[in-house]
Amino acid sequence: MPAAIETLLASIFWPAATIGVYLAARQVYRRWPSPWLSPLLVAPVVLIALALLLKQSYAQYIHVTHWLVAMLGPATVAFAVPIYEQRATIRRYWPALAFGVVVGSATAMVSAWGLASLLSIDGTLRLSLMARSFSTPFAMTVSKDIGGVPDLTAIFVVVTGVLGAALGDLLMGFLPLKSAMARGALFGMGAHGAGVARANEIGREEGSIASLVMVLVGLVNVLFAPLLSILLR
Amino acid sequence: MSTRQITLSVRRMMHVSAVMQIALLILIWQAGEAIVHLLDLPVPGSVIGLFFVLVLLGTGRINIVSLRSGAKFLLAEMLLFFIPAVLAVLDHREFLGLLGLKIFAVILFGATTVMIVTALAVDISYRLMMRFGESHARGH
Repeated sequence: MPAAIETLLASIFWPAATIGVYLAARQVYRRWPSPWLSPLLVAPVVLIALALLLKQSYAQYIHVTHWLVAMLGPATVAFAVPIYEQRATIRRYWPALAFGVVVGSATAMVSAWGLASLLSIDGTLRLSLMARSFSTPFAMTVSKDIGGVPDLTAIFVVVTGVLGAALGDLLMGFLPLKSAMARGALFGMGAHGAGVARANEIGREEGSIASLVMVLVGLVNVLFAPLLSILLR
Repeated sequence: MSTRQITLSVRRMMHVSAVMQIALLILIWQAGEAIVHLLDLPVPGSVIGLFFVLVLLGTGRINIVSLRSGAKFLLAEMLLFFIPAVLAVLDHREFLGLLGLKIFAVILFGATTVMIVTALAVDISYRLMMRFGESHARGH
Protein backbone atom coordinates (compact mmCIF):
# COMPACT_ATOMS: atom_id res chain seq x y z
CA MET A 1 0.00 0.00 0.00
CA PRO A 2 1.38 3.48 -0.87
CA ALA A 3 2.49 5.48 2.17
CA ALA A 4 0.10 8.37 1.46
CA ILE A 5 -2.96 6.12 1.50
CA GLU A 6 -1.72 4.41 4.64
CA THR A 7 -1.37 7.77 6.39
CA LEU A 8 -4.82 8.82 5.22
CA LEU A 9 -6.35 5.58 6.49
CA ALA A 10 -4.58 5.96 9.85
CA SER A 11 -5.81 9.53 10.23
CA ILE A 12 -9.37 8.30 9.83
CA PHE A 13 -8.98 4.99 11.67
CA TRP A 14 -7.37 6.10 14.96
CA PRO A 15 -9.63 9.06 15.80
CA ALA A 16 -12.67 6.91 14.88
CA ALA A 17 -11.36 3.98 16.95
CA THR A 18 -10.63 6.29 19.91
CA ILE A 19 -14.10 7.85 19.84
CA GLY A 20 -15.80 4.49 19.21
CA VAL A 21 -13.97 2.73 22.06
CA TYR A 22 -14.69 5.69 24.34
CA LEU A 23 -18.44 5.61 23.55
CA ALA A 24 -18.55 1.84 24.11
CA ALA A 25 -16.61 2.18 27.39
CA ARG A 26 -19.03 4.89 28.49
CA GLN A 27 -21.99 2.56 27.86
CA VAL A 28 -20.29 -0.19 29.88
CA TYR A 29 -19.68 2.30 32.70
CA ARG A 30 -23.32 3.46 32.68
CA ARG A 31 -24.43 -0.15 32.97
CA TRP A 32 -21.90 -1.09 35.68
CA PRO A 33 -20.73 2.14 37.39
CA SER A 34 -17.62 0.84 39.19
CA PRO A 35 -14.46 2.99 39.46
CA TRP A 36 -12.50 0.10 37.88
CA LEU A 37 -14.69 0.34 34.78
CA SER A 38 -14.07 4.07 34.30
CA PRO A 39 -13.81 4.95 30.56
CA LEU A 40 -10.46 6.59 31.35
CA LEU A 41 -9.12 3.18 32.38
CA VAL A 42 -10.95 0.79 30.04
CA ALA A 43 -10.61 2.79 26.79
CA PRO A 44 -6.80 3.24 26.93
CA VAL A 45 -6.31 -0.46 27.76
CA VAL A 46 -8.37 -1.49 24.71
CA LEU A 47 -6.58 1.05 22.47
CA ILE A 48 -3.12 -0.01 23.71
CA ALA A 49 -3.99 -3.63 22.92
CA LEU A 50 -5.16 -2.52 19.46
CA ALA A 51 -1.96 -0.51 18.85
CA LEU A 52 0.21 -3.46 19.90
CA LEU A 53 -1.82 -5.78 17.67
CA LEU A 54 -1.44 -3.46 14.66
CA LYS A 55 2.25 -2.77 15.53
CA GLN A 56 1.66 0.99 15.70
CA SER A 57 3.90 3.27 17.73
CA TYR A 58 2.75 6.06 20.05
CA ALA A 59 4.20 8.64 17.60
CA GLN A 60 2.07 7.22 14.76
CA TYR A 61 -1.01 7.17 16.99
CA ILE A 62 -0.70 10.64 18.55
CA HIS A 63 0.17 12.23 15.21
CA VAL A 64 -3.41 11.65 14.02
CA THR A 65 -5.23 12.00 17.36
CA HIS A 66 -3.54 15.02 18.96
CA TRP A 67 -6.45 17.24 17.90
CA LEU A 68 -8.63 15.30 20.36
CA VAL A 69 -6.20 16.13 23.19
CA ALA A 70 -6.15 19.75 21.97
CA MET A 71 -9.91 19.92 22.68
CA LEU A 72 -8.92 20.15 26.36
CA GLY A 73 -8.16 23.82 25.52
CA PRO A 74 -11.74 24.88 24.65
CA ALA A 75 -13.00 22.51 27.41
CA THR A 76 -10.97 24.51 29.94
CA VAL A 77 -12.44 27.75 28.58
CA ALA A 78 -15.90 26.15 28.92
CA PHE A 79 -15.42 25.94 32.70
CA ALA A 80 -16.14 29.68 32.81
CA VAL A 81 -19.84 28.74 32.51
CA PRO A 82 -20.20 26.53 35.64
CA ILE A 83 -17.81 28.79 37.58
CA TYR A 84 -19.95 31.81 36.70
CA GLU A 85 -23.11 29.95 37.71
CA GLN A 86 -21.60 29.22 41.14
CA ARG A 87 -20.30 32.75 41.69
CA ALA A 88 -22.45 33.34 44.80
CA THR A 89 -21.04 30.30 46.64
CA ILE A 90 -17.51 31.13 45.52
CA ARG A 91 -17.75 34.76 46.62
CA ARG A 92 -19.08 33.70 50.01
CA TYR A 93 -16.65 30.89 50.78
CA TRP A 94 -13.48 31.88 48.95
CA PRO A 95 -11.31 31.76 52.11
CA ALA A 96 -12.16 28.06 52.57
CA LEU A 97 -11.27 27.39 48.92
CA ALA A 98 -8.05 29.40 49.08
CA PHE A 99 -7.00 27.55 52.25
CA GLY A 100 -7.70 24.19 50.57
CA VAL A 101 -5.68 25.16 47.48
CA VAL A 102 -2.61 26.22 49.48
CA VAL A 103 -2.68 23.28 51.91
CA GLY A 104 -3.41 20.82 49.08
CA SER A 105 -0.58 22.06 46.83
CA ALA A 106 1.94 21.93 49.67
CA THR A 107 0.81 18.40 50.56
CA ALA A 108 1.09 17.31 46.91
CA MET A 109 4.68 18.52 46.55
CA VAL A 110 5.88 17.29 49.95
CA SER A 111 4.18 13.87 49.69
CA ALA A 112 5.57 13.25 46.17
CA TRP A 113 9.07 14.22 47.29
CA GLY A 114 8.86 12.17 50.50
CA LEU A 115 7.33 9.04 48.98
CA ALA A 116 9.74 9.09 46.02
CA SER A 117 12.73 9.44 48.35
CA LEU A 118 11.39 6.61 50.52
CA LEU A 119 11.32 4.31 47.47
CA SER A 120 14.74 5.59 46.34
CA ILE A 121 13.43 7.34 43.24
CA ASP A 122 15.56 10.44 42.69
CA GLY A 123 16.84 12.91 40.12
CA THR A 124 14.63 14.08 37.28
CA LEU A 125 12.12 11.26 37.87
CA ARG A 126 11.41 12.55 41.40
CA LEU A 127 11.10 16.13 40.13
CA SER A 128 8.76 14.95 37.34
CA LEU A 129 6.57 13.25 39.95
CA MET A 130 6.30 16.42 42.06
CA ALA A 131 4.39 18.31 39.38
CA ARG A 132 1.89 15.52 38.68
CA SER A 133 -0.93 16.97 40.82
CA PHE A 134 -1.71 19.85 38.45
CA SER A 135 -3.65 19.66 35.21
CA THR A 136 -1.51 18.88 32.15
CA PRO A 137 -0.55 22.31 30.73
CA PHE A 138 0.36 23.65 34.19
CA ALA A 139 2.08 20.44 35.24
CA MET A 140 4.32 20.48 32.18
CA THR A 141 5.29 24.11 32.81
CA VAL A 142 6.04 23.47 36.49
CA SER A 143 7.94 20.27 35.68
CA LYS A 144 10.21 22.12 33.26
CA ASP A 145 10.73 24.96 35.76
CA ILE A 146 11.80 22.71 38.63
CA GLY A 147 14.01 20.49 36.43
CA GLY A 148 11.76 17.52 35.65
CA VAL A 149 10.87 15.97 32.28
CA PRO A 150 7.56 17.43 30.98
CA ASP A 151 6.70 14.31 28.90
CA LEU A 152 7.06 12.02 31.91
CA THR A 153 5.02 14.40 34.04
CA ALA A 154 2.24 14.28 31.42
CA ILE A 155 2.01 10.49 31.87
CA PHE A 156 2.01 10.80 35.68
CA VAL A 157 -0.71 13.43 35.45
CA VAL A 158 -2.96 11.04 33.55
CA VAL A 159 -2.25 8.16 35.95
CA THR A 160 -3.00 10.52 38.87
CA GLY A 161 -6.27 11.52 37.20
CA VAL A 162 -7.43 7.94 36.63
CA LEU A 163 -6.38 6.75 40.08
CA GLY A 164 -7.57 9.92 41.81
CA ALA A 165 -11.03 9.84 40.26
CA ALA A 166 -11.46 6.23 41.42
CA LEU A 167 -9.94 6.93 44.86
CA GLY A 168 -12.14 10.00 45.28
CA ASP A 169 -15.25 7.84 45.13
CA LEU A 170 -13.86 5.53 47.83
CA LEU A 171 -12.70 8.44 50.04
CA MET A 172 -16.07 10.21 49.80
CA GLY A 173 -17.61 7.09 51.34
CA PHE A 174 -15.82 7.44 54.67
CA LEU A 175 -14.76 11.10 55.02
CA PRO A 176 -17.38 13.04 57.02
CA LEU A 177 -17.73 15.84 54.45
CA LYS A 178 -20.61 18.23 55.07
CA SER A 179 -20.20 20.48 52.04
CA ALA A 180 -20.41 20.00 48.29
CA MET A 181 -17.47 22.39 48.25
CA ALA A 182 -15.18 19.96 50.07
CA ARG A 183 -16.22 17.13 47.72
CA GLY A 184 -15.48 19.36 44.72
CA ALA A 185 -12.11 20.45 46.14
CA LEU A 186 -11.19 16.80 46.79
CA PHE A 187 -11.61 15.92 43.10
CA GLY A 188 -10.19 19.16 41.69
CA MET A 189 -7.03 19.01 43.82
CA GLY A 190 -6.40 15.27 43.76
CA ALA A 191 -7.42 14.24 40.27
CA HIS A 192 -7.56 17.46 38.15
CA GLY A 193 -9.28 17.02 34.77
CA ALA A 194 -10.43 13.44 35.29
CA GLY A 195 -11.55 14.35 38.81
CA VAL A 196 -13.46 17.35 37.53
CA ALA A 197 -15.24 15.16 35.01
CA ARG A 198 -16.16 12.75 37.82
CA ALA A 199 -17.21 15.61 40.14
CA ASN A 200 -19.46 16.91 37.33
CA GLU A 201 -21.29 13.58 37.41
CA ILE A 202 -21.82 13.82 41.17
CA GLY A 203 -23.31 17.30 41.11
CA ARG A 204 -23.27 20.74 39.51
CA GLU A 205 -21.72 22.50 42.50
CA GLU A 206 -19.11 19.74 42.98
CA GLY A 207 -18.15 20.01 39.30
CA SER A 208 -17.75 23.77 39.19
CA ILE A 209 -15.85 23.91 42.50
CA ALA A 210 -13.57 21.12 41.26
CA SER A 211 -12.83 23.01 38.04
CA LEU A 212 -12.17 26.23 39.91
CA VAL A 213 -9.84 24.48 42.37
CA MET A 214 -8.01 22.78 39.49
CA VAL A 215 -7.40 26.10 37.74
CA LEU A 216 -6.38 27.88 40.97
CA VAL A 217 -3.96 25.10 41.94
CA GLY A 218 -2.37 25.31 38.49
CA LEU A 219 -2.04 29.10 38.65
CA VAL A 220 -0.63 29.17 42.19
CA ASN A 221 1.96 26.54 41.33
CA VAL A 222 3.05 28.06 38.03
CA LEU A 223 3.64 31.30 39.94
CA PHE A 224 5.58 29.55 42.72
CA ALA A 225 7.56 27.14 40.54
CA PRO A 226 10.48 29.52 39.89
CA LEU A 227 10.79 30.00 43.67
CA LEU A 228 10.59 26.26 44.26
CA SER A 229 13.29 25.57 41.66
CA ILE A 230 15.71 27.71 43.71
CA LEU A 231 14.83 25.73 46.85
CA LEU A 232 15.35 22.39 45.10
CA ARG A 233 18.76 23.28 43.73
CA MET B 1 -30.98 43.95 6.55
CA SER B 2 -30.02 46.53 9.17
CA THR B 3 -27.12 46.07 11.56
CA ARG B 4 -29.59 45.56 14.37
CA GLN B 5 -31.34 42.76 12.51
CA ILE B 6 -28.01 41.07 11.81
CA THR B 7 -27.00 41.36 15.47
CA LEU B 8 -30.32 39.86 16.53
CA SER B 9 -30.17 36.94 14.13
CA VAL B 10 -26.55 36.18 15.13
CA ARG B 11 -27.63 36.30 18.77
CA ARG B 12 -30.54 33.93 18.10
CA MET B 13 -28.24 31.50 16.30
CA MET B 14 -25.78 31.55 19.22
CA HIS B 15 -28.59 30.79 21.64
CA VAL B 16 -29.68 27.63 19.82
CA SER B 17 -26.63 26.15 18.12
CA ALA B 18 -24.25 24.16 20.35
CA VAL B 19 -21.91 23.77 17.37
CA MET B 20 -21.60 27.55 17.00
CA GLN B 21 -20.99 27.83 20.75
CA ILE B 22 -18.19 25.25 20.58
CA ALA B 23 -16.72 27.16 17.64
CA LEU B 24 -16.79 30.34 19.74
CA LEU B 25 -15.07 28.55 22.67
CA ILE B 26 -12.37 27.29 20.28
CA LEU B 27 -11.93 30.83 18.93
CA ILE B 28 -11.55 32.26 22.45
CA TRP B 29 -9.05 29.52 23.36
CA GLN B 30 -7.00 30.32 20.24
CA ALA B 31 -7.07 34.02 21.12
CA GLY B 32 -5.80 33.09 24.60
CA GLU B 33 -2.97 31.04 23.07
CA ALA B 34 -2.04 33.98 20.83
CA ILE B 35 -1.88 36.35 23.81
CA VAL B 36 0.28 33.90 25.78
CA HIS B 37 2.59 33.54 22.80
CA LEU B 38 2.83 37.30 22.19
CA LEU B 39 3.43 38.28 25.82
CA ASP B 40 5.43 35.13 26.68
CA LEU B 41 3.21 34.38 29.72
CA PRO B 42 3.84 31.28 31.90
CA VAL B 43 0.09 30.44 31.87
CA PRO B 44 -1.80 28.16 29.42
CA GLY B 45 -3.82 30.07 26.80
CA SER B 46 -6.98 28.20 27.81
CA VAL B 47 -6.82 29.79 31.29
CA ILE B 48 -6.53 33.28 29.76
CA GLY B 49 -9.61 32.33 27.68
CA LEU B 50 -11.45 31.15 30.79
CA PHE B 51 -10.86 34.45 32.61
CA PHE B 52 -11.77 36.38 29.47
CA VAL B 53 -15.15 34.60 29.31
CA LEU B 54 -15.70 35.22 33.05
CA VAL B 55 -15.11 38.94 32.45
CA LEU B 56 -17.50 38.94 29.46
CA LEU B 57 -20.18 37.18 31.53
CA GLY B 58 -19.61 39.38 34.59
CA THR B 59 -19.88 42.63 32.63
CA GLY B 60 -22.97 41.39 30.78
CA ARG B 61 -21.31 41.61 27.35
CA ILE B 62 -22.27 38.02 26.63
CA ASN B 63 -25.35 36.10 27.75
CA ILE B 64 -24.69 32.77 29.46
CA VAL B 65 -27.32 31.17 27.17
CA SER B 66 -24.94 31.85 24.24
CA LEU B 67 -22.40 29.41 25.71
CA ARG B 68 -24.24 27.01 27.99
CA SER B 69 -25.09 24.08 25.71
CA GLY B 70 -21.71 24.13 23.93
CA ALA B 71 -19.87 24.28 27.25
CA LYS B 72 -22.01 21.50 28.66
CA PHE B 73 -21.18 19.23 25.72
CA LEU B 74 -17.41 19.81 25.98
CA LEU B 75 -17.41 19.25 29.74
CA ALA B 76 -19.55 16.11 29.52
CA GLU B 77 -17.18 14.50 27.00
CA MET B 78 -13.96 15.73 28.61
CA LEU B 79 -12.71 12.24 29.50
CA LEU B 80 -12.42 11.45 25.77
CA PHE B 81 -9.81 14.19 25.36
CA PHE B 82 -7.51 12.57 27.94
CA ILE B 83 -7.53 9.11 26.39
CA PRO B 84 -4.97 9.61 23.57
CA ALA B 85 -2.43 10.99 26.09
CA VAL B 86 -2.55 7.75 28.12
CA LEU B 87 -1.16 5.82 25.14
CA ALA B 88 2.19 7.54 25.79
CA VAL B 89 2.79 4.50 28.02
CA LEU B 90 3.58 2.65 24.75
CA ASP B 91 6.84 4.64 24.61
CA HIS B 92 7.79 3.92 28.21
CA ARG B 93 8.05 0.16 28.57
CA GLU B 94 10.57 0.72 31.40
CA PHE B 95 7.57 1.52 33.61
CA LEU B 96 6.22 -2.00 33.14
CA GLY B 97 8.57 -3.41 35.83
CA LEU B 98 9.51 -2.61 39.44
CA LEU B 99 10.03 1.08 38.64
CA GLY B 100 6.45 1.28 37.40
CA LEU B 101 5.19 -0.30 40.62
CA LYS B 102 7.18 2.18 42.70
CA ILE B 103 5.85 5.13 40.72
CA PHE B 104 2.35 3.70 41.01
CA ALA B 105 2.80 3.53 44.80
CA VAL B 106 4.04 7.15 44.97
CA ILE B 107 1.03 8.34 42.96
CA LEU B 108 -1.47 6.15 44.85
CA PHE B 109 -0.39 7.21 48.36
CA GLY B 110 0.35 10.78 47.25
CA ALA B 111 -3.09 11.27 45.70
CA THR B 112 -4.83 9.70 48.73
CA THR B 113 -2.99 12.02 51.14
CA VAL B 114 -3.61 15.10 49.02
CA MET B 115 -7.32 14.35 48.64
CA ILE B 116 -7.91 13.67 52.34
CA VAL B 117 -5.96 16.76 53.47
CA THR B 118 -7.59 19.09 50.92
CA ALA B 119 -11.15 17.87 51.52
CA LEU B 120 -10.80 18.13 55.31
CA ALA B 121 -9.13 21.56 55.09
CA VAL B 122 -11.98 22.94 52.98
CA ASP B 123 -14.71 21.23 54.99
CA ILE B 124 -13.38 22.38 58.37
CA SER B 125 -12.96 25.99 57.21
CA TYR B 126 -16.42 25.83 55.61
CA ARG B 127 -17.94 24.69 58.92
CA LEU B 128 -16.08 27.43 60.82
CA MET B 129 -17.35 30.03 58.36
CA MET B 130 -20.90 28.69 58.69
CA ARG B 131 -20.73 28.86 62.48
CA PHE B 132 -19.20 32.33 62.43
CA GLY B 133 -21.75 33.47 59.86
CA GLU B 134 -24.64 32.17 61.97
CA SER B 135 -23.52 33.71 65.30
CA HIS B 136 -22.77 36.92 63.41
CA ALA B 137 -26.29 36.94 61.99
CA ARG B 138 -27.80 36.20 65.40
CA GLY B 139 -25.85 39.08 66.99
CA HIS B 140 -27.68 41.56 64.78
